[in-house]
Amino acid sequence: MICNRSARLILAASFILASWSAAGAQQCGKTGGTLTYVYHPEPTALSTIATSAVPVAIISTKIYESLLSYEGAALTPKPSLAESWTVSDDKKTYTFKLRHDVKWHDGKPFTAEDVAFSVQKIVRPYSSRGKVYFGDLAALETPDPYTVVFKLKDAVPFFMNVFQPGETPILPKHAFDGIDVGTAAGVRGAEIMQKPIGTGPFRLKEWRKGSHIILERNPGYWDKGRPCLDQVVLRVLPDGAARAIAVETGEVDLAPMSGLPEAEIQRLSKLPQIVTSREGAEALGPNMWLEVNLREKPLADVKVRQAISMALDRQRIVDVIWYGQGTPGIGPIVSSNPTFFNKALKPYEYSPAKANALLDEAGYRRGADGVRFKMTQNFLPYGENWLRLAEYIRQELGKIGIAVETQSLDLGGWLKAIYTDWNFNITSTFSHNYSDPSIGVERTFTSENIKKGATFTNSMGYKNPRVDELFSKVARENDVAVRKKQFDEIQQILHDDLPVIFLMEMSYTHVWNKRVHGLITNGISMYSSWSGVWKE
Amino acid sequence: MPAKLWFVLKRVLQVVPVVLAIAALNFLLLHLAPGDAADIIAAQSGGASPEFVAELRRSFGLDRPLYQQFLVYIARLLTFDLGWSNVQQRPVFDLIADRVPATLLLMMTGITLALIFGTLLGILAAMRHRRWTDSVVSVLALLAYATPQFWLGLMLIVLFSITFGILPSGGMMTIGAVMSAGARALDIARHLLLPTLTLGLFYMAIYARLMRSSMLEVYTHEYITTARAKGLSEARVGLVHAASNALLPVVTLAGVQIGHLLGGSILVETVFGWPGLGRLVFDALLQRDLNLLLGILFVSSVVVVLINLAVDLLYGFLDPRIVHK
Repeated sequence: MICNRSARLILAASFILASWSAAGAQQCGKTGGTLTYVYHPEPTALSTIATSAVPVAIISTKIYESLLSYEGAALTPKPSLAESWTVSDDKKTYTFKLRHDVKWHDGKPFTAEDVAFSVQKIVRPYSSRGKVYFGDLAALETPDPYTVVFKLKDAVPFFMNVFQPGETPILPKHAFDGIDVGTAAGVRGAEIMQKPIGTGPFRLKEWRKGSHIILERNPGYWDKGRPCLDQVVLRVLPDGAARAIAVETGEVDLAPMSGLPEAEIQRLSKLPQIVTSREGAEALGPNMWLEVNLREKPLADVKVRQAISMALDRQRIVDVIWYGQGTPGIGPIVSSNPTFFNKALKPYEYSPAKANALLDEAGYRRGADGVRFKMTQNFLPYGENWLRLAEYIRQELGKIGIAVETQSLDLGGWLKAIYTDWNFNITSTFSHNYSDPSIGVERTFTSENIKKGATFTNSMGYKNPRVDELFSKVARENDVAVRKKQFDEIQQILHDDLPVIFLMEMSYTHVWNKRVHGLITNGISMYSSWSGVWKE
Repeated sequence: MPAKLWFVLKRVLQVVPVVLAIAALNFLLLHLAPGDAADIIAAQSGGASPEFVAELRRSFGLDRPLYQQFLVYIARLLTFDLGWSNVQQRPVFDLIADRVPATLLLMMTGITLALIFGTLLGILAAMRHRRWTDSVVSVLALLAYATPQFWLGLMLIVLFSITFGILPSGGMMTIGAVMSAGARALDIARHLLLPTLTLGLFYMAIYARLMRSSMLEVYTHEYITTARAKGLSEARVGLVHAASNALLPVVTLAGVQIGHLLGGSILVETVFGWPGLGRLVFDALLQRDLNLLLGILFVSSVVVVLINLAVDLLYGFLDPRIVHK
């Protein structure tokens, strides 16, 4: 039974693969050249262990690799540092056979010791998702220098997804000789975080802080004939309009991960030499919503939340504030998730009339000045779009009688107010689904994730025993059909309960000059090695 | 000991308590800002467990009581140790030293050119007072002063990089190309042109108007009438006699602004992607990188105090009537 389902899944995946592999030709269209890209802010480190922020993830995945690479939106695993692998029938033992001919950038050979060290001493304790990925690791064995065996306590359904170069990079054990890896300071302050040594197709050539980073081809790369490019350059340009101009003049080849203001993306997409794409980030799945502090009335009342939800025109938010680069939100799992999105969810309705009726029903009548009650709102301090969203929300809620006062804080202040002090009514924010909802979605909606001081967790104080139960089951269930049913139910409950008001599925739009090829390969295209990217 | 030397010595000794007081004030002010670097690093990683954040905080030394952190900081300052940036994982001194050359290049070029052209234009406007030259200069100065720098910068980029395509749109130099020293200097000069223009026009307007009004005031003095009565040409009266006496207010203002040299110009640096200290301060503040921020503020305050001293000495040189006690 399980074999049949897996076979069907593999078949489905290969259809997806066929449509994606147009750019996956083994030969480079042209060898040589420099790819220049822009992104702001500048990375603070060159390893996702120090921080997995977007700019760091983009650049460090060209330098470091993991056991697997992936193809397609559903992340079909392909060999990378691991040549082949077998999974036991009970799904608790994963055996990887490693490549023999891999060398680190400093010439030393890569062995299973490096894998064991990286996973156990570096990724599991210090990566932000380390415990989610390897929390159930009972033992890691290296019977010979080119074999790694993972023994899990429980069968983890998404285990094959964890070996992404950004999530579980393999670092050289010898670079940590003499460094105390027992403390965060020791690891984050290690020289390798600023002067990386990886196995990837590119290695660091020069980093002028505030100006640029140059990566050059790794001449000893194990995949002969790759990378196609000679150099990858990051140019640091803090101003959005200046970045757009650089793309337009051709000084820069690529602006990934919505690194340009949406208005500029819309303008540039009309130019003949520019290509824009919203594909290539399906395994990130950014989902934007309003987090609601459920601890006090009136927001503790689900009718009030439904009214707020009905007062906001999601399509308008997408079209006007985000220049069409998004999709109206509908639930905790984004619609681009090929496996688990619940298609039966009903889209949220926009109806200020019904919102007014609901608030009357809930007992919050208008006062003499037309105001039912007052409330504050915060917004994610990531740029102008969020400020405009806050202004729009204030305007629309004002129409149904809710007087909203907007509070403006910078990132540090906002994090403290929302996640440490829980001192807010509603705030806009977004969250990544990541490659499996058990990784990215669970942390916002389970009651055990109500943790003071932990950013991007359950700040709302939402406690639903059924949701907790379902999340706990689905994280250890290996039958995809059963998982789908469990996720469907979770989505329906959260869609109706509205612990957060789902607003919009964001998109990461990539903009590049049409002389660049081979960028979109999988659901984490900008966090992949770019070894097959070539330029005319 | 000559009076001047006493004066200098007294002022240099005053630097120490002044700078320490500034450092203490900065420390207190920055700790008032809510949130810290551990929160931000965890947030930028997409969230982390509270244990992870607590561990980060501990490794940054942020969990110690405030007075302890303060004493540690002052003790380090007295040994000229600026500390370690937890966010960027490098010594603060290195981070600042990296940006100083670029900042100095931009600011010195901008302010020097602004001074030269601003004073010349101010002199011209004053000498041609009430004629059309004066009106043109005054209006242009007002426009240059009122135009926002980020708008001006972007418009210059659109004009010269996109429409004409003759100048680069940002950065300090062409990256990745191997060049001889001469070619590199030329390359940097090309990249320097637009940022200097954007920065300089603003200061130039200020100096022009200040010089003009100072000259007009000096023209009412008796020695100008004497010089004219002696038969000197109007050009000589204006350029030699009036200008040198009108210079003092401009020197004062220039001194104040050169003191801000190391602060860089965050607007120009942002628009042109120029790797200067202004942006470093801004980024450090948003990331709550306290050690880096305090380091930059400390270095800046030392520079300001020293330059103030230099300007005071310059007064004595320019105007012998000023006596230093």
